[in-house]
Amino acid sequence: MSFFPGGIGMRLADLIGGVVVLILGLAVIFFSSQLTYYSEYGPGPGFLPLWLGVVLVGCAIFVIMNVLKKHDKIGTFFKPRTKLGLHVLIIIFITFLLLPFLGFSIGLALFVGITMRIMGRHRWVSCSLTAVVTAICIHLIFVSWLTIPLPQGLIGW
Amino acid sequence: MDLLNNLYTGFSIALTFNNIIYCLVGVLFGQIIGVLPGIGAPTAIALLLPLTFKANPTSALIMFAGIYYGVAYGGTITSVLINVPGESSTVMTCLDGYQMALKGRAGAALSIAAIGSFIAGTVSIIILMAFAPALAKLALRFGPAEYFALAVMAFGLLTVFGGEQPIKTIISTMLGLLIATIGLDVVSGMPRFAFGVPQLLGGFDFIIIICGMFGIAEVFCSIEEPEEGELLKSKFRLRDLFLTWEDWIASRWAIVRGGVIGFIVGIIPAGGITTASFLAYLGEKRVSKHPERFGKGAIEGVAAPESANNAASISGFAPLLALGIPGSPTTAVMLAGFMMWGIRPGPMLFQKNPDLVWGLISSMYIGNFLLLLINIFLIPAFVALLRLPYTIIMGFIVVFASVGAYSVNNNFFDVWMMLGFAVLGYLMRKLNYPIVPLVLALVLGNLAENSLRQALTISGGSFSIFFTRPICAVFIAAAIFAYLTPVIRWAFKGLRKVKVDTA
Repeated sequence: MSFFPGGIGMRLADLIGGVVVLILGLAVIFFSSQLTYYSEYGPGPGFLPLWLGVVLVGCAIFVIMNVLKKHDKIGTFFKPRTKLGLHVLIIIFITFLLLPFLGFSIGLALFVGITMRIMGRHRWVSCSLTAVVTAICIHLIFVSWLTIPLPQGLIGW
Repeated sequence: MDLLNNLYTGFSIALTFNNIIYCLVGVLFGQIIGVLPGIGAPTAIALLLPLTFKANPTSALIMFAGIYYGVAYGGTITSVLINVPGESSTVMTCLDGYQMALKGRAGAALSIAAIGSFIAGTVSIIILMAFAPALAKLALRFGPAEYFALAVMAFGLLTVFGGEQPIKTIISTMLGLLIATIGLDVVSGMPRFAFGVPQLLGGFDFIIIICGMFGIAEVFCSIEEPEEGELLKSKFRLRDLFLTWEDWIASRWAIVRGGVIGFIVGIIPAGGITTASFLAYLGEKRVSKHPERFGKGAIEGVAAPESANNAASISGFAPLLALGIPGSPTTAVMLAGFMMWGIRPGPMLFQKNPDLVWGLISSMYIGNFLLLLINIFLIPAFVALLRLPYTIIMGFIVVFASVGAYSVNNNFFDVWMMLGFAVLGYLMRKLNYPIVPLVLALVLGNLAENSLRQALTISGGSFSIFFTRPICAVFIAAAIFAYLTPVIRWAFKGLRKVKVDTA
């Protein structure tokens, strides 16, 4: 079963990719044209970016034309398990939001425990135990041993 | 005599207790990474890089090199036992390795892989010791024009080796160069593409991008398309690992040929160990008197690609150490490590930091020997690792990537940027835009741009400087040829089609 009803074909995805590169290339040309292209000492800061933009635009047009020429179906962009990947992305996103409050040791340990439960369907006991061990390991390895000043959060760990 | 002196200097450093431990940790870690799905050598080194800020650079590099060639050994185990390559460099090993395992000869397959890797690796180190200083001497004659041309050649070769769609390889390369331009311009001091965001003035740190694009993006891809295979339930006894006389006879020249092909492909910028193993397998099949045995459990079909990938992983250090040009994503990450410690690889490295160069190279002898022992006596322990659930591996990748990104500048902005690059890396992979060219261009971006600007300043703006200097002209010619390769291939394909149609 596809992630989105009907699914996004690879052809459409490729086309969107090409258009994004095209827009990026045009933006690069626009912004680099505001930088000095050539100074009295040689090429300026805008020299290389401008040409990069030009090449990007050229390549993007080639990609788009290639996609438009093709008519065969070459699979869908979203796979049945894409949803799981998206879940993990959301969990990572929430974890990063909470890191300043929970601290790295606790926040990342919770992430490990939760993903084990959601993704791997492991037992609660295993997930909790792994989370506790992870928190202790992060603290011992990164904070105590490698002395990386990781944010410690409200609990102080 | 120089070679012996260098060897003596190298071993006096590599054989210290501290460095032997670093080497052992590196090869063990590499072996584990090779066995585990969804994590490769560049990811592992990128994740560990920020944690070695305070370590001795030589020791840390010895460990990273150990990871690099250790991975090539480790990936073999999954190729042989579950028909899933742990690393892209062991794809070809699946073809005959798994067939041997089905016939109850998994032990022999793993054994010839370890022995072949050891022999080819050791010979490769000897050649590297002679070749790298010679290359460095040649590189002393390089000016900005040559360095720019070399970078262009490396980018060009990526279109040959980089992926199925050359145009997307070029886009990836351009994106890498573009990201490298973000921040303050080193010549004029003007900000570029920073859009008033103070954190962008310093540009993106390489580690943040690597942790995102290789680390977390790999997690998303592995969740979406897990590498699954059935583990063959065979017990390994020590005697199963011993080879028969026939095995030796069949494999000896395969090891030599694989080693030679591996070494040559490894020194080509962007050549890579995967290409080396692929070419070695095809080459072996072509020279074999019984090519029909290939794919059905021929031991030389394991010996050749395994010898080649290890030889290539070692010879890949030649362009990195002598020219400062990484040939693969792993050496690109290691180049970032050099920069992190304030060391500039290139011809002067052999004069300024001989201890580091020769210590690193000599440690490879020790690492290869350790890997041979590990692969003969500890295989069952690594097989047990195959049962580790991916959810746990994934958790640890996220932990290391997050801590790594944060520790670069001790701020959360980098952690968020890392996540942004992870999404970009995932989308690029989905759309068949290769990541490696982006990474290589990112690492070489500043060198390429500064060299280009210096060269044009010297020549008064004339591009003829790139065509009138002999070394430079050779590099540019190679680059043009590389960029034209897809067009030539396309033209040949068209011609062949026309011939078939008319026939």
